[in-house]
Amino acid sequence: MRIAGTSYTDSMVNQLDFLSAQQYQLQNQVSTGQSITAPSDNPAGMAEALNLQADNSALTQYAQNISTLQTRATIAGNALTSLQTISEQASEIATSADSTATPAELQADAGEVTQLIQQAAQLMNTQDGSQYVFGGTASGSAPFIVTTDANGNVTAVTYSGNTDVAESEISQGVTTTVDAPGENNTGTGPRGVISDSRYGADFFNHLISLQNDLQAGNTSAIASTDAPNLTNDDNNIIYQVASNGATQTRLSAAASFASTQQSGLQTSLSNVAGVDLTQTLTQLSQTNNAYQAALETSSQFLQMQQYVLSLLP
Amino acid sequence: MLGLFNTLNLGARALQAEQIGVEVTGQNLANANNPAYSRQTVVLQTSTPTPTSIGMEGTGVEAASIRQVTDQLLNSQIQSEASVGGYWNSQQSALQNAQTQLDEFFNLDSASSTSSDGSTTTSQSLSDQLNSLFNAFQSVATSPTDLTARQSLVNAAQSLASSFNQASQNLSALNNQLNTSVSTGVASANQLLSDIASLNGQIAKATASGATANDLMDSREQDLENLSQLVNIQTTTNSDNTISVSIGGQQLVSGSNLSDTLATYDPGNGQLLVQTATSATPLALTGGSIQGTIDARDGTLTTLRNNLDTMASSLITQVNGIYSNGYDLNGNTGANFFTGTNAGDIAVNSNLVNDPSQVQAAGTANATGDNSVALQLAQLGNQSIAALNNETFSGAYALDVQNFGDALSNANDQVSNYSSVNTMLLNQRDSESGVSLEEETSNLITYQMAYESSSKIITTVDQMLQTLIDMKST
Repeated sequence: MRIAGTSYTDSMVNQLDFLSAQQYQLQNQVSTGQSITAPSDNPAGMAEALNLQADNSALTQYAQNISTLQTRATIAGNALTSLQTISEQASEIATSADSTATPAELQADAGEVTQLIQQAAQLMNTQDGSQYVFGGTASGSAPFIVTTDANGNVTAVTYSGNTDVAESEISQGVTTTVDAPGENNTGTGPRGVISDSRYGADFFNHLISLQNDLQAGNTSAIASTDAPNLTNDDNNIIYQVASNGATQTRLSAAASFASTQQSGLQTSLSNVAGVDLTQTLTQLSQTNNAYQAALETSSQFLQMQQYVLSLLP
Repeated sequence: MLGLFNTLNLGARALQAEQIGVEVTGQNLANANNPAYSRQTVVLQTSTPTPTSIGMEGTGVEAASIRQVTDQLLNSQIQSEASVGGYWNSQQSALQNAQTQLDEFFNLDSASSTSSDGSTTTSQSLSDQLNSLFNAFQSVATSPTDLTARQSLVNAAQSLASSFNQASQNLSALNNQLNTSVSTGVASANQLLSDIASLNGQIAKATASGATANDLMDSREQDLENLSQLVNIQTTTNSDNTISVSIGGQQLVSGSNLSDTLATYDPGNGQLLVQTATSATPLALTGGSIQGTIDARDGTLTTLRNNLDTMASSLITQVNGIYSNGYDLNGNTGANFFTGTNAGDIAVNSNLVNDPSQVQAAGTANATGDNSVALQLAQLGNQSIAALNNETFSGAYALDVQNFGDALSNANDQVSNYSSVNTMLLNQRDSESGVSLEEETSNLITYQMAYESSSKIITTVDQMLQTLIDMKST
């Protein structure tokens, strides 16, 4: 076959261009650690990588949601635990206020109950940032307002929150709440912390009643009415503490699951878009060798051409 | 018998013939690197013999013609392949440009990051911005009264809107560039058609006068190949060695006459197409870079732009449909989150930019802790959207990217295939018509030796003549 001079040089240039392009692609893969950078590199792979990226981003956000909820749940849990202590103290006072107690002791107990009401109201106005934890979704202002008389005795504790709670997503399509309304006497919906007619709970009113009965020295009313009421309140608060604990456990499990899912996703992402470094470096080395060989062959050809010209007289 | 003087003429003719051989070889060597050149050879033939008493006696050699070594079938194949190459190269160029403008390049590090806020704000790609928007809705749903989360939402939405605007603007600019490219291609094609007609005229004159026009034919062949890269042509060789050229069934060059040219026209949508200039006949081009540019512009690029507009439009409609029913921290309702109608003009409600408390996250008035609207908006990211073929926003976008990538990947493969076929055809033509240094060097030596040999005839006859003259003088 007859070979023209331009045939060889054109072929040589094409081969060098091809090898250069291969070198560039392989070097790019080695430096980035990626087999896919642009959509045209691997269109189906790119789509899969984008979908995995979206899933991973969502999982990271769910983890953030869970972290925020865990903080709020911890704040609420601490308040509920302290509230439980107050409830226990109130029950002890009610138990000890029998016919053997002196008027002075009863008065002192009344004063202590007044302080317990104030402490409980303060706990029920706990905030997480700017949000009041026990106001339902009307969380922009303090849900419990204490009213006192001229002597400092508590006459009323009114609730200005509502009975709704906000749900947050902790995984796709799965929502939960860490909130509980301060009061719910509607007969439906989430259980109120302080007051819920379904369970006989009305902690503040029961404490006010105990305060008043202690001041009046009405030990029979304390034994027959106040003490049983406070037992219902205590049971309700214990439920809230347990419920909060269960929610925190669930959030921990959700966080762990999200973390496991993310590890799997990252493995999938590496499989789709990552590069086998050993294999790629080997290919790069082979390409470099081929490029060197092509250059040397070209050089020899050009020398041969010069030799041909030297044959001219 | 020829006689001494006729023998002298024989020597002289031989010298001329070998000199022409050297000249043609020199021409070949001078054009060794000219890809448009077809090598030439000297056709030597014995000159007319003369009758003598002892029979017909040869009178030497003469150069009968200078022949161009070319294969018209191969040339036609190369022209045809040039149209294919022009078509796919222009597609590849346009779509590579579009890929750059879309700016959707995958980064494994940011894709697999576990940044604490769930956003990948270091990346500006549209896919990342979409993810960040729905993550930001999640953050507001989890902390509805948190002004920092609300401001982050507004920022994320602005970044997304900006990405849409930028992609739309860039692709629109590319569309305009491709329109310009069509016009430029048409102008170049018209210039080539004019050149071909002119060369046809010169070749016809040379042919009529009995001369050869090899170099003019090489120039015309180059013009035909360059024209084929722009647009698929059909050629007919005429008896006077002129070539008629048709495009899309319309004859534009007939002999030396340029009967018509190409022109662009707007069919009403701003996307230029091609027609004949004089008869205004729309042309259905079947190959070449002009049609490749048109197909890229009206095909893949238009689909991509329409899909971006559909996605932006769906996002605006879906988000506003939920959002407008929400309440902000001040109890206000009814406003929209996004303004605009498509990718080019989507924007965030300007009232939210400086006052994130106006984000309507609650589903109930006077309940600032209510997050039901924000939660719905966050969950919108996982919902199938009818206008997006029942895909989620991110899923639909991933499909759009895949389809675009498929088009560019196909163009890359076609260019690679064309390159292989074209190289094979060019090598085949070069093996026939190309200049071989070894061959020409050998020819040069051959002609030179023959010239030297022929010069010996002259010097020998000269000596013989001198001998004769000396005989007279003595």
